[in-house]
Amino acid sequence: MTPNTADDAGLADDTGLPVAIWDIAAREFAAWREGDPGALERLVRRVTPTLWQTARSCGLGREAAEDTVQATWLALVRRADSIRDPQAVLRWMVTTTHREAWKAGRLSQREATVEEAVLDAVSPPVEGPEGAVLTQGTARALWRQVARLPQRCQRLLRVIAFGHRPDYAALADRLGMPVGSIGPTRGRCLDKLRTLLAADPEWEVGP
Amino acid sequence: MTGDEELLRRLREMWEATDPVPDGLADRVLFTLDLEHLEFELLRLHDAFAPQAARGHESARTITFSSDSLTVMVTVSPAGGRRPAHRLDGWIAPAAALRVELRTSGGSQETTADRDGRLSFPDVPAGLVQLVLHPTEGAALDLVVPVMTPAVQL
Repeated sequence: MTPNTADDAGLADDTGLPVAIWDIAAREFAAWREGDPGALERLVRRVTPTLWQTARSCGLGREAAEDTVQATWLALVRRADSIRDPQAVLRWMVTTTHREAWKAGRLSQREATVEEAVLDAVSPPVEGPEGAVLTQGTARALWRQVARLPQRCQRLLRVIAFGHRPDYAALADRLGMPVGSIGPTRGRCLDKLRTLLAADPEWEVGP
Repeated sequence: MTGDEELLRRLREMWEATDPVPDGLADRVLFTLDLEHLEFELLRLHDAFAPQAARGHESARTITFSSDSLTVMVTVSPAGGRRPAHRLDGWIAPAAALRVELRTSGGSQETTADRDGRLSFPDVPAGLVQLVLHPTEGAALDLVVPVMTPAVQL
C-alpha cells in the first residue's frame, strides 16, 4: 500500500488531510464572485461531497442530509457578500451545514434518530471510489471497529476527518462538550480505535 | 502504530466508500441555484412514503414538503401515456389558491391551485423537477416570498 495518492487533484498532501479542498474552494468562490460563470458549478461539484459527509456526521438520515446540503448552498449564494475572506468559505459552509443539520434534526426527529446511524453501521462496506487506497480488508476492519466506539466518538471523528481546520467552537456546541475537551477527546477516541484495530485480524498496520 | 493523521485519512476513505454522496446531489443543488431570483423559502422534505423511499426510483409515491407556514403533499404516479411521463397531484395546506410553477429541465409549467389547495400537472417529463408556490393576490395564504421544494428526480 502506498502512503498517499497526492496526484489526484491534490486530494491529499503528506499530512493525509485534504488540504487542497480548502484552497480549491477559496479559489472557485473568489472566481465566482468576480463573475466567472463556471466557477459556481465547479465549487458545488467539488465541495458537495464534503458537505454530505458533514451532514451525515451530524446523525441525519439520507434525505434530511440532502435537504441540509441544498439549504447550505442556498445560504452561501444568498449571503456570499458577507464572506469577506474567500479562504474562510469552506469553514463557513461546514459551520452552516452543522447549523442547518441541527435545525433539520429538531424539525424532524424521526429522521435524526440514532437508530439510523446504527443501521448504517451494520451495512457492509461497498466498493470505494476510484483512487481509494484502502483495501477491502482495511475498510471492513475500520467500519467494524468504529461501530464499537461510543456514539460521541464516532461523530467527532467523522467531523474531524472531513473538516480540515474544523471550527472547534461550533463543533463543541453541536456535540455538547466544552471546546477545551475536543482535542483531548479526539486523542482518546483515536487511541481507543487503535486498540480495537490492533486486535482485528483484518487490520493492516501500515503502508 | 498508525499516526493520527494517517488514521483519519483512512477513516475518511472508509466513510467515502461506505456512505458515498448520493448520485446527482450536486446536479440537484445546481438546478436549485440556477434561478434568476434567489429570494424564496426552501421547503424541507418531511416524509416520503413509497415501496422504496429512495429518491430517483420509479414508483408511485407520496412526498410531503413543509415549512413553518405551510405543507405541500405531492403524489407522483405514471401518466399512462406512451412515452415515460408522470402525473403529479398536489395539495397545499392550509388550503390556498396559489399560483404554482413546476420547474423541469425542459422548462416551466404553470397552474393555479383551487380553493381547497388542490393542484395537478398531468404530464411531467422525467428528470429533475421542483415546485414553486408564488405569492398570489386574493389567495387565502399571504406569502411574502415564493416557497419552493428542493429539486427531486422523477
